[in-house]
Amino acid sequence: MSTDATTPARATEPDAPPRPPWWQGRSELLVAALVLGIAGFIAVQTAAIPVPTGTEPPGPRFFPTLVAVFMGAVGLALAVQVVLRPARPAQAAEQAPGADAAEDAPVRIDWRCLGIVVATMTVFIAILQPVGWLLSAALLFFGIAYALGSRRLLFDAVLSLTFSSLIQLAFVAGLGLNLPAGILGGIF
Amino acid sequence: MDVVDNLMAGFANALSPEYLFLALVGVVLGTAVGVVPGLGSSMAVALLLPVTFHLDPTGAFIMFAGVYYGGLFGDSTAAILMNTPGQASAIATAIEGHKMARRGRAPQALATAAIGAFIGAIVSTALVAFFSPVIVELALRFGPAEYFALTVFAFVATSAVVSNSAVRGLIALGIGLAISMVGIDSLSGAERFTLGVPQLFEGFSIITVTVALLAVGEVFHVAATAHAGGGVGGSLRRAGTPWLGRADLRRTFPAWMRGTLFGLPFGSIPAGGSEIPTFLAFGAERKLAARRARRGTGEDEFGNGAIEGVAAPEAAASATAGTAMGTLLGLGLPTSATAAIMLAAFQQYGMQPGPLLFERNADLVWALLASLFIGSVMLLILNLPFAPLWAKLLLVPKPYMYAGIAVFSSLGVYAAASSMVDLWLMLILGLVALMMRRFDIPLAPVLIAVVLGPVAETELRRALAVGQGDVSVLVDGGITLGIYGLLLAIGLVVAVGRLRARRAAGRAAPPVEAGRG
Repeated sequence: MSTDATTPARATEPDAPPRPPWWQGRSELLVAALVLGIAGFIAVQTAAIPVPTGTEPPGPRFFPTLVAVFMGAVGLALAVQVVLRPARPAQAAEQAPGADAAEDAPVRIDWRCLGIVVATMTVFIAILQPVGWLLSAALLFFGIAYALGSRRLLFDAVLSLTFSSLIQLAFVAGLGLNLPAGILGGIF
Repeated sequence: MDVVDNLMAGFANALSPEYLFLALVGVVLGTAVGVVPGLGSSMAVALLLPVTFHLDPTGAFIMFAGVYYGGLFGDSTAAILMNTPGQASAIATAIEGHKMARRGRAPQALATAAIGAFIGAIVSTALVAFFSPVIVELALRFGPAEYFALTVFAFVATSAVVSNSAVRGLIALGIGLAISMVGIDSLSGAERFTLGVPQLFEGFSIITVTVALLAVGEVFHVAATAHAGGGVGGSLRRAGTPWLGRADLRRTFPAWMRGTLFGLPFGSIPAGGSEIPTFLAFGAERKLAARRARRGTGEDEFGNGAIEGVAAPEAAASATAGTAMGTLLGLGLPTSATAAIMLAAFQQYGMQPGPLLFERNADLVWALLASLFIGSVMLLILNLPFAPLWAKLLLVPKPYMYAGIAVFSSLGVYAAASSMVDLWLMLILGLVALMMRRFDIPLAPVLIAVVLGPVAETELRRALAVGQGDVSVLVDGGITLGIYGLLLAIGLVVAVGRLRARRAAGRAAPPVEAGRG
């Protein structure tokens, strides 16, 4: 593919190292490792599945065995493909001809922004039960808005609380869904 | 005629004020979600699943149908105005549609899309209604081996054939199958892959999987690429009447018809939804325009915003959606990610789509079919004059939009079962989805595999049990042979096409790696 030739060239352009490190363009090996890991997990767990007595021949272990073998095979195939052809082809450009291909092309991951988002969501899940929907959902909204670049802190705080209370009102009072009340439980 | 009577009863049912209201809510909400950049109709259905929990089944599915069609409409509105298609079905529309919008012909492009989608939906729904007895009769002749063949077809077609890279598609399939096996085995009662966690005995909830992969994954993806500026901004809003002139109509009408014809067959086969037919329709229009230009009977506007390039893919996409509903209802076979979610919704109400559904829940089926017509009309009315209004939704700042999506996702996942385990799974699967997006691994095969995995396993084991271990029962009979033969033929066509494309690319640029594979 023609894009194969251009991508590594672009990577080496900034006047520094003549040869990119071996990992350049091969980070997808992580995916292959994960797939092989899942295959291994399925294989080990499958062996441990208790087969109830009186089960007809293709028992509960039959299909998992097939899936484990299948995943092992595709994981290996991906690993081989990535090693032989690093710097994955810019498929984004093929997928969306005419759309901004640059947007989907391999972009450096913004770890800080992603970190805040993931951390916010983790905290939200952790405190949802003890603290209750109203405050924890407001925190989730606030944290993600902050991570994505909103800096009107006071306005955002008010907006977050309004948003989570509106949902509480609409879904708990209106539709009868069950959301954890938490520390504010007594008020409502 | 039987069908007409049934359909009339369905209309009588669906035209009740309550159901009309639900259909309206469905199309409005669906359009709203579809307009959001990066979100399409399958996400609209997934996010709004919890909203429908407290409705009766008929009302819930009427609303779903509205959300499904509304999501398609909203997605193409976003594709035209912002060049942000949320789903494969709107990508082809975005190519010429956004160029039309840049030339100041946004209202015409939106009207073309809306009418095209309307025509596709009406024609395909009518076909489904009138051919449903045939589909049901066919389905009644299906045994375990036939159903297993259908699932294999769905798996291979969505993962290996539709994706750009067969290996990555198959990896997505494997992940989905792995997820689908968690829980208690329905045939033997054995507990599998639960690690002893009681909340996992019933397996992963499809709502958790869908919302995590599509919505949470999208939020993470936006966060991970936030510094790149994103595609939001530079929108095009221009007032003006959306009416098409006579010259436009003369060009769009045949294109709508051709697009519908491309879409109809693809909804009924599990080939990953509307990606293939929309691009086939788009390609056909481009070739036709080039031929007209050569003959001097018209000009070739492709590349500068050709109205045919909006009309045909849009009609194809909604025709696919219509026949996909038919296949889902008649065969119980989801042919797209959205249909897979709707199948899960049926299962939640304890119903199994398929021939029996037409017997046991005839009221629901016909009311649903009738509401598909009603929903299409509502969407046309809503979209023709108000499409530019929808674009106003894009004025919501990006941080608030995605914060809102995150809150709604968590709400949906938690409310489905009031389970904290589901929320943690959502977080983990969201990260998996981010990784998959980063490496161009398609998400749709995961959803198809999660829904159809248990079906495939059950039918395979039943077929083998009947044959007492003899594998040849799987290819015994005309229907199974036909299905595998069709799959083989499609595979060959795709393989040859890819080989030719690769060779053409190789001629354009000298091959880099000669000794590959």
